[in-house]
Amino acid sequence: MKKLIAMLLALVMVFALCACGQQAAPAPAAEAPAAEAPAAEAPAAEAPAAEAPAAEGKVFNIYAWNEEFKGFFEKYYTVPEGVTVNWIITPSDNNAYQDKLDTTLLNQATAPDDEKVDLFLAEADYIQKYADSDFTQDITALGVNDFSNAYKYTVQAASDENGVVKGVSFQCCPSALIYRRSIAKDVLGTDDPAEVQAKLDSWEKFEAVAADAKAKGYYMTASFAETYRPFSNNCTSAWVDENNNLQFDDQILAWIAQTEKFCENEYTLADSGIWDQPKNDQMFADGKTMCFFGPAWYFNFCMGNAQDPEKGCSGDWAICEGPAAHFWGGTWLMAPAGTDNPTLLADIMNTFINDADVCEKLVVNEAQFSNNQAVNAKFADDPSFGSEFLGGQNPVAVFSAMTDNIKWENHTIYDQACNEGLQNALQQYFQGLVDKDTALNNFYLSINEKYPDVVTP
Amino acid sequence: MGRKLKPRKTGVSYAKWGYIFILPFFITYFIFTLTPQIMTIYNSFFENYRNGLKQIGPNFVGLRNYVALFTPDKSGTIGMLKYFGNTLILWVMGAVPQVVIALLLAVFFTSYRLNIKGQQFFKTVIYMPNLIMAAAFSMLFFTLFSTVGPVNQILLAHGIVEKSVNFLGLKISVRILISLMNFLMWFGNTTILLMAGIQGIDQNMFEAAEIDGANSLQVFFRVTLPLLAPILVYTVITAMIGGLQMFDVPQVLTNGKGTPDRASMTMVMYLNNYLGTSKNYGMAGAISVVLFIVSAGLSMFVYNSLSKQYRK
Amino acid sequence: MKNAENTKGRILMIVARVVVYAILIFLAVLCLFSFYMLIINATRSNAQLQAGFTLMPKNNFFVNLKNAWTDASINIPRGMLNSFFIATCSAVLTTYFSALTAYGIHVYNFKLKRAAFLFIMAVMMIPPQVSAVGFIQLVYKFHLTNNYIPLIIPSIAAPVVFFYMKQYLESVLPMEMVEAARVDGSGEFRTFNTIVLPIMKPAIAVQMIFSFVSSWNNYFIPALLLDKAEMKTVPIMVAQLRSADYSKFDMGKVYMFILLAILPVLVVYIFLSKSIIKGVTAGSVKG
Repeated sequence: MKKLIAMLLALVMVFALCACGQQAAPAPAAEAPAAEAPAAEAPAAEAPAAEAPAAEGKVFNIYAWNEEFKGFFEKYYTVPEGVTVNWIITPSDNNAYQDKLDTTLLNQATAPDDEKVDLFLAEADYIQKYADSDFTQDITALGVNDFSNAYKYTVQAASDENGVVKGVSFQCCPSALIYRRSIAKDVLGTDDPAEVQAKLDSWEKFEAVAADAKAKGYYMTASFAETYRPFSNNCTSAWVDENNNLQFDDQILAWIAQTEKFCENEYTLADSGIWDQPKNDQMFADGKTMCFFGPAWYFNFCMGNAQDPEKGCSGDWAICEGPAAHFWGGTWLMAPAGTDNPTLLADIMNTFINDADVCEKLVVNEAQFSNNQAVNAKFADDPSFGSEFLGGQNPVAVFSAMTDNIKWENHTIYDQACNEGLQNALQQYFQGLVDKDTALNNFYLSINEKYPDVVTP
Repeated sequence: MGRKLKPRKTGVSYAKWGYIFILPFFITYFIFTLTPQIMTIYNSFFENYRNGLKQIGPNFVGLRNYVALFTPDKSGTIGMLKYFGNTLILWVMGAVPQVVIALLLAVFFTSYRLNIKGQQFFKTVIYMPNLIMAAAFSMLFFTLFSTVGPVNQILLAHGIVEKSVNFLGLKISVRILISLMNFLMWFGNTTILLMAGIQGIDQNMFEAAEIDGANSLQVFFRVTLPLLAPILVYTVITAMIGGLQMFDVPQVLTNGKGTPDRASMTMVMYLNNYLGTSKNYGMAGAISVVLFIVSAGLSMFVYNSLSKQYRK
Repeated sequence: MKNAENTKGRILMIVARVVVYAILIFLAVLCLFSFYMLIINATRSNAQLQAGFTLMPKNNFFVNLKNAWTDASINIPRGMLNSFFIATCSAVLTTYFSALTAYGIHVYNFKLKRAAFLFIMAVMMIPPQVSAVGFIQLVYKFHLTNNYIPLIIPSIAAPVVFFYMKQYLESVLPMEMVEAARVDGSGEFRTFNTIVLPIMKPAIAVQMIFSFVSSWNNYFIPALLLDKAEMKTVPIMVAQLRSADYSKFDMGKVYMFILLAILPVLVVYIFLSKSIIKGVTAGSVKG
């Protein structure tokens, strides 16, 4: 025992020395003067910024919740000599990412320059929380002025209530109806995207087809929440009105009514959420589900089962707009107030929306739908550009056609809590585990735990 | 306590050594734990939360947070009582078998007469579930018992059920799963604690009892149990505190939702809801104080009743 | 007469043994099952894992091991070193100072003795989630993020471990022994270090394992305090892996990761569990 303790102590000391050595090392670099930062603002617009001005910080901290953007950044962006990029990646489980980010932003003013956030990522469901706050800054002042190629909703999403733009997105996320060609042939008699679209371009038709699919032994969708986004993106009122009252938009009520019907008639899988295994299993070749909804990122991010070389069914898929235009998700690059690297920040933003070369690579190599209309148009018009996964269909053409109908309206800081809370609470009702009033009551409880000042019905 | 060990008067006062020995503990505690804890209690009397990134308060509101905790919601349920009930049920379902079986195993392992072979193996194995992170352990159970998981596959294949069972949606099965996991994770730990306790007992006591012709049961109830009392009290109290603070297993298994109908939501999960998006330190503080009062009351009760019963 | 009783006793003993072994084997299987699944899953490729559940191992073990060990963004060997360092320091500090505090309160008589004991008992019941929030704020205020101090030093004050040590001392330490040492001229610290600590070996070994494991598996606080890649601990890395995007989502690698995360605690545990058995104090002192 004594020997053991002695050994452990010895080990501990060795490690302690290593650890101390490490902590001491980066300290001298920390003295980049911040006072001169504003001087860099003026010429930034034209400056290609191949290297950061000497006045700016040498450490660039990027906050993110996964490695997606890191991958693109490392492949397609050349960091100026002498600047170290730190990726601070916190998983979004249990709100951990926003907790971490908020704590850092609240301490931004007093943090040493090399520990300040210089760029952070945000998702559509909570972007308002940051865009509409003083913790982000006007990017046009930093030299990101050209939004002519970006899609309008992506700019609106990153703007505050006065229209000041605080960030950009490197992707545009119109979400399509993704269907199995073989099942569409069986149910609708065709797998041609135009014809399928004609048969599914309204919710009435969609529900009628669901009944036909059921009759032939198929599911229309594979999750009770699959059609949530197509409805919720088209709301004509916000979740919370100006008097802080929680309200249900007609679109939300329509989703509830439709899902009640779908679950009762087994047109969908009541037991499966949109990220759950039962739904993902349906993407294998032996799956029985006709429709999924998702944007460009969905193919690589969520449809791994469909692409599986053995059990998948690559090529048996196609996309069309479906019953309602909508977008889903997307990642925005936000400019935090107080960054000590404004020039570099602006250059990164410009690169990912306006550098045609980089945007093209995102489309070709990463199956993204870029946030650059000119680049997308080039691929949309290219008859030779097609996706093997979609049986040769050109997804960029379909997505481009959809973008005009996408709206960014009626968004609030409460969106994430409401969208996720409602789905979570109502699932138990759709599964028949609790009655509707109980489920709604649980939804209200979850809202008030997150936002005490929202008045629930 | 400690009265029976009062040193005989030797003329030298050792009191200062008592202070010296406990000093590091208290200094550390005051800096790193007590300060935050006092802030918690203080916070419970304030309105103090975040609305998005906007800080609301702190505004002094007296006992309003406590009143809110015990006000029925629209369905007539008092949340705090419901979650306390859930916690208690989950704890009893897991802890009773845990302590009973651990006590049995500890006696088995230390019994000369039974002379169990492969002790090292068994002792190692029963503690192992505790080594897995609770989150990973819950993930495993989640996969096993999901509607498309292997348990359902087996049940379907053998025709035991016709349609897959939603184990994670039914109140009773969720509670059983949570208790089972807690039991598996902690009974080995308890066994080891109790074994260490039994091994600390003077062997002469057992020998004397045997010479006097006591049988195993008599030895257990008349010798082992009374001498084990301090450690047993520790075990029961920590199991109770652990139970009242139950969090990660149900949190991960139900994805923080306490499905179904918040029936598996424990008090700390409820507390955690307020620490999430809203950073509602006011309400979280009030829940903590209630939790503290309940735990303290229960622990004192157990400590006094068990200690008295076995102290000569 | 006596013989008959003996035979009866022997049969009873055999029955008892069979029952005891049956219980033990059942529990052991239950406990080993999750490990078995973990190991099996670590031998399967992502595609094989997607295909469903099986009890048979596959041949992908070394591919997964290599993938996990050399992952570009998640440096697991480094994470294991970090976790090992933190957990070892915490375990040593926790057990030593808890024993010291318990001894201080158990052996000496001083004015604040009862108050100190009741205080520790009371604070033991405050859920750790409660102080977590304030603790994080405190750490930020002192600029101690990305530093191991706030993860190690607070373990000096562990009320639960103290309580165990106190209860343990109460059942094993005779006051006469301390007095005998004093008569021999031993200083108070020396008495504690050379006479009392050895008596407490089983308790120390037990609590060392527990605190090592809980520190090793601790995710909540470190995740909020450590964000530099080279400082991260194993649980943070596992969580990060799980939230990586689905295109790179290799479940085989995830299981291998969890297996690697458990391995060191397993080794430490097996190592220490032997000393629990050796460290029995029986007979060293007569009460």
